[in-house]
Amino acid sequence: MNQIAVTFIQGPVVEEEVHLTLVELCQACNAEEEYVTAWVFEGLLEPVGQSPQDWRFSGDSLRRARLALRLSRDLEINPPGVALALDLLDEIAELRARLQRAGVR
Amino acid sequence: MKFKDYYETLGVARSATQDEVKHAYRKLARKYHPDVSKDPDAEARFKELGEAYAVLKDPEKRAAYDQMGSQWKTGQDFQPPPGWDAGFEFSGGDFGAGLGGDHSDFFEALFGRHGGAGQRAHRPAQGQDHHAKVLIDLADAYRGAQRSISLRMPALDAQGRVTMQERKLDVSIPKGIRAGQHLRLAGQGAPGLGEGPAGDLYLEIAFNPDPQFRADGRDVYLNLPLTPWEAALGASVAAPTPAGPVQLTIPPGSAAGRQLRLKGRGIPGTPPGDLYVVLAIALPPADSEAAQEAYRSMAKAFDFNPRTKMKGDPP
Repeated sequence: MNQIAVTFIQGPVVEEEVHLTLVELCQACNAEEEYVTAWVFEGLLEPVGQSPQDWRFSGDSLRRARLALRLSRDLEINPPGVALALDLLDEIAELRARLQRAGVR
Repeated sequence: MKFKDYYETLGVARSATQDEVKHAYRKLARKYHPDVSKDPDAEARFKELGEAYAVLKDPEKRAAYDQMGSQWKTGQDFQPPPGWDAGFEFSGGDFGAGLGGDHSDFFEALFGRHGGAGQRAHRPAQGQDHHAKVLIDLADAYRGAQRSISLRMPALDAQGRVTMQERKLDVSIPKGIRAGQHLRLAGQGAPGLGEGPAGDLYLEIAFNPDPQFRADGRDVYLNLPLTPWEAALGASVAAPTPAGPVQLTIPPGSAAGRQLRLKGRGIPGTPPGDLYVVLAIALPPADSEAAQEAYRSMAKAFDFNPRTKMKGDPP
């Protein structure tokens, strides 16, 4: 096993300081452009900008795109199905957070 | 090495058709997918399912696996017989679900290790971006921190085999980071191909479980137990916060479940989150004659029945 020591690295918080182009988002989650484009079409990702060349994705898109990729790859779900699954997962997360706020762990 | 019964993993008979194998896999994969399931074993189960399916969905690999015979049971010590795979040709490459280089020893002994680093020929320039998860304490998000983390990443060695390479990284965790956010470390991903630049490393932040505090986005929650008299009469009590203790004024007549909001005492940022103190009432134990007497005098002092508004006959 090789040991490579690297010192002190800083980086931006993606969700707050980074906007991604289509190419950057695809690179960041190792997804094909066709997938990402299909997810935009389904409303699963909502970039600003008119055409794919102008699209800018918010940092939170990274989390959603990676989740969408895992679900479509592992469970062989098509883009409308992935969009539905993400909506439902968001809803479950919100309900769990509400339980947590009420002190129910 | 232990034998793995892939039919048992998927819950199908050895005589199952390819469609039945696929059906069983799909159903279990949905149930144990780590993004969907809250089962603590979900990730391990899902990995096993992926490995079983990688073998059984592929007619070549399934035939080779079947050749081992049906007398083997999961967990038995196992060595593949010499030349067991003679006459089979594996196409290699795509192993579907699981990450390459991430299968069990059993799988690798039978089918070898295949392309884990996933170098993609059609994108020759920049190296791949990598992802890892980092656990920090909630207090680190309040103050910022410097963390040394170890990452294990699959990499291809000179012979083109997948090896796990360990890297140590010293990372600055910025103040105000929240669970679920990502740090982007430029150039810390996979090395570039040829003259291409290295990929980036994305670190997903998660908080270690904390016995006292729960974070919800930028807000933080704390359960604070009070005595009945503190809750009834009001009091000034010390309460812990991730940034150190504060003195808290409890208003008289506070009920259990009441939330006191300490504005701006959540995770720092613009705007900062809030700290919510959720009040609870703890009853002192009636474990001495004096304590029991105190409860009895309370019963005399109050004309109090908390069940007057309940409907229906008492059981």
